[in-house]
Amino acid sequence: MARVIFEKTGKRYGKLWALRDLSARFEPGETVSVIGPNGSGKTTLIKCMLGLVHATTGTIRVNGQVVGNDPAYRHQMGHMPQISRFPNELKIGQLIDLMDDIRGNDMQRSEGPLIRELGVDRMLDKRLGTLSGGQRQKVSAVLAFRYAPTVLVLDEPTAGLDPLSSEILLSAVREIKRTGCTVLITSHLMEEVEAMADRIAYLQDGGLQFLLSPEEILEATGQTRLSRAIPAMLANNVKRHVESL
Amino acid sequence: MWKVYKYTLIDLARNKFVGGWLLLLLAISFGLFQLEDQPLKAMLSLTQVLLALVPLVASIFSIVYLYDAMEFTELLAVQPLHRSKILGGQMLALGTALVLGTWIGAGIPLMIFQAGSAAFTLVLACTMLTLVFTAMGALIAFKNREKARGVGLGLVVWFLFVLVYDAILLWIMYAFSDYPIEPWIVPLAALDPIDLGRIMVMLKVDLAAMMGYTGAVYEKFFGSMAGTFLALGALVAWVAVPSAWAFKAFQRKDF
Repeated sequence: MARVIFEKTGKRYGKLWALRDLSARFEPGETVSVIGPNGSGKTTLIKCMLGLVHATTGTIRVNGQVVGNDPAYRHQMGHMPQISRFPNELKIGQLIDLMDDIRGNDMQRSEGPLIRELGVDRMLDKRLGTLSGGQRQKVSAVLAFRYAPTVLVLDEPTAGLDPLSSEILLSAVREIKRTGCTVLITSHLMEEVEAMADRIAYLQDGGLQFLLSPEEILEATGQTRLSRAIPAMLANNVKRHVESL
Repeated sequence: MWKVYKYTLIDLARNKFVGGWLLLLLAISFGLFQLEDQPLKAMLSLTQVLLALVPLVASIFSIVYLYDAMEFTELLAVQPLHRSKILGGQMLALGTALVLGTWIGAGIPLMIFQAGSAAFTLVLACTMLTLVFTAMGALIAFKNREKARGVGLGLVVWFLFVLVYDAILLWIMYAFSDYPIEPWIVPLAALDPIDLGRIMVMLKVDLAAMMGYTGAVYEKFFGSMAGTFLALGALVAWVAVPSAWAFKAFQRKDF
């Protein structure tokens, strides 16, 4: 059974549909890159899954549980937001303790090497208010991976990270994927998409334009590089390409 | 909920503003008691200051704190936690920090210089007003996306209750002084939590002149004791209604 199922999900803000009639299934052990122009609904899609935003129409299931008032399904989820801010006066160690406290028995499942690799274990006594944007991203990454999620959602995870840390993070994604975790990543970096994605979901104006593997996209456009294939696919009629497959 | 409460309280304990508020209260309280020969007079001045300042600080600080904590609240909201428990923990922590600030900053000087039922009632009124305006602050913070708008609205609400509503009430009493409007004053005064706090304190002070018209009406209708409890009950409702509304707004909020 699919890990995450969107059924005709829509989200309306006032008159604007940020997400419309989106149906998709994400399988265990696959990495899906969610791409699209600014304001195309990527973050809204993620936030609906996490229960941060209430979908106007349709339903979302994570591990078979309907996303709604019962927060239990989130035991299975890890999330790294675009921008992280934490209480200034807490120390990193205290924040991690708080999260461990909240997650309760999830803790027994795993503690990856990420905290060491990103150097967060050496900063436990630092106050969160004194951290730079990149350091906050690292803390956020540690928290996202910490509780052995089966669904991991990363919203532009490498934006603001130095190249070395980005690489560490991406290899952690590959690692956790092997355990059967479904990973959703939004990104604007085509190299990253090319390197990571099993499938690519393209959003525009809140609608899912296509959800295809990189090979399928290359084949449909006759290009050799994704960074060219995707614009080509959009410039031509997307539907025609999809139908031709 | 207690985990959120505990860590929010740790964050608040280190917050410079809470410490500053406590010191300001201490300075005002001790200052007034030192300057005034008669402790009772000093307490009355302190009452005026506290009844205006406590609601202002409680609502503006709650609003600013909740806006600044919004990303962290978002982090909590993606954990396997009910939203009601997140907000419950945060509001209780805010209430605890601000109430403790009032107890230490104003309560201790009051107990030193003017211990008695009036001083105790003043502390109780300040406690209730802190909770009322913390709840209203939370409601404002979760109903408005923008911080500047939220703070502005907080100021407007405070101004309304501390000054405008009183003026309207006075005008009504003046305009209808030929009619038996006294029974109407009881519910009308209850619509302003700051007025209720003032009534509670003045019912305990044996100075009819200080009581004001609304206070006099409360005493006339209910006597000192029952009047106090009625005002206290109305204040409890003033905590409950905005809190319930804030919880509803938070449940529906899209981050």
